[in-house]
Amino acid sequence: MLDADVEVDRREFTVRAALRVSPGERLALFGPSGAGKTTLLEAIAGLLQPRRGRIELGGRVLTSTVPPVRAVPPWQRRVGLLRQDPGLFPHLSVRDNLCYAPSASPRSGELAELASVLGIDGLLSAMPARLSGGQAHRVALGRLLLAHCDTLLLDEPYTSLDASLRRTLTDLVGNLVVQRSVPAVLVTHELTDAQAFADRLAVIDRGQFLQLGAPDEVVLRPASRRVAELVGYLGFVPSGDGVTGVHPERVIAGAFGDRGLVLTGTVTACRPAGAGWEADLRIGDAAITCRLPDKPPAAEARLAVTVLDPPRFGADGALV
Amino acid sequence: MVSVAGGAVIWVALLGPVLALLFHLSGSAIASSLTAPGALQPLVTSLESGLVTLCVLFFLCTPLAWMLARGKLPFPRLWEAGVLCSLLLPPLVIGLLLVFMVGPYTPIGGILAHLHQSATNTFLALVIAEIYESAPYYVLGAQAAFAGVEPRLEQQAGLLGDRPRRVFRRVTLPLAAPGLAMSLSVAWARAMGAFGAVVIIAYHPYGIPMQIWTTLQETGLSTALPFALVLLVVALPLPLAAYIWSARAGRRRRG
Repeated sequence: MLDADVEVDRREFTVRAALRVSPGERLALFGPSGAGKTTLLEAIAGLLQPRRGRIELGGRVLTSTVPPVRAVPPWQRRVGLLRQDPGLFPHLSVRDNLCYAPSASPRSGELAELASVLGIDGLLSAMPARLSGGQAHRVALGRLLLAHCDTLLLDEPYTSLDASLRRTLTDLVGNLVVQRSVPAVLVTHELTDAQAFADRLAVIDRGQFLQLGAPDEVVLRPASRRVAELVGYLGFVPSGDGVTGVHPERVIAGAFGDRGLVLTGTVTACRPAGAGWEADLRIGDAAITCRLPDKPPAAEARLAVTVLDPPRFGADGALV
Repeated sequence: MVSVAGGAVIWVALLGPVLALLFHLSGSAIASSLTAPGALQPLVTSLESGLVTLCVLFFLCTPLAWMLARGKLPFPRLWEAGVLCSLLLPPLVIGLLLVFMVGPYTPIGGILAHLHQSATNTFLALVIAEIYESAPYYVLGAQAAFAGVEPRLEQQAGLLGDRPRRVFRRVTLPLAAPGLAMSLSVAWARAMGAFGAVVIIAYHPYGIPMQIWTTLQETGLSTALPFALVLLVVALPLPLAAYIWSARAGRRRRG
């Protein structure tokens, strides 16, 4: 169990976070760049000293700012941190990198077994400079697993890789975390990555946890207008004394009053998006964007759409 | 094509003195110069003082270079200026100033006298002069070598369970080693050839540069030349070995 409740000062704001992750559970921290996600991971890893708080991992107190004060140094924390740069030691072969940690004394077969699970069994005697980005990340992951870390912290590790490799590696980590039953935290600014990985998803912005919930719930029922903006709502249509949030992917063409909110507007722009189309609509003073499978009518034409079960936000921005 | 030709001209010009040395040496001159009684004593003196200098540089200046590279020191510019100072001062001036610093009538000289030591015209003086002439080359080179090691790698090694001292031994030092070896061998070449400060503060015991100088004064160019060859033979192998070794380390890392 990873249990952290900390306040870490940054130049512009203070990161305040409380999270509990059970063994085998996968938590994703989702938020824009500079939201304080990495700061939080570094505090857990012991690379940053929080101003106030307590961090526990598997029953061991790693950090405590109230008596008895504790600040376990990074090398005694058994926290695995994976970053965008795999951080392989360039002077050591893949095998020596995998077995680097003093705690890595692989049982006979453990190294070979893990290498084959990770798909790097043919690379053990290669030097890191010869590896592709994906291979280097597999080795970095293997190194953390062989070190028998008590938790895995993933700081946008696969951001620089292409989408399919990113998905493959994210799935691989996800499965290994469950198999080895360690708590894992993924930090990302890609919502789909967060959803693919996580059992629970936390939305963080300017150092504050805005919402913590199931990966679908956070998108379908954002707790506030700010969360809605962060998870991809591109239009807000006035309704009553508040607004209704419109997510481009939660819109279908046609008027179906029983499935959600029907809006009629003027098409202002339309462009291809993936396998379908993306259209901008003007509805009174508001503008919305929607993704449609069929090409919408030409610009300036009227179009009726249905926003499926949209969330409504009050004047204070909170979900109604 | 023009740039290659230009490069070649500069390369040959830089190599010119070495070529001149080889063309003007005869076997008999080498034999008669080097077999004279006591002719090889300066070589021994130079090697001994050079080795002591290297040890002092390695053990005292390596931590300084690491702290400079990692920004561990307050007012880093001030520290760097101090290192640059002995690089920018002409060696002759360093020698003059050293007399005022460690000479017999100074506080340091007094302490040394108390210990039955002296820092003028002794082996100690020779080592001090060589340290002043070579240290900045080592410190600046070692600083660059340490700065080239990703701090993230050291951090990662720490998170994998290594204490800072172990991280230094297993990650920092091996990664900086080729650069350290290169700068240590440059310092070796500087120490072997140290003359400006040596001629003032450590005229005796003779190292090879002093022997070249006195032979030149006493018997002329042709008898001094063989000792120039000795100096090259002693001073160059370490830099060459370091160069080859660091090139091989680089190749190994590239797989």
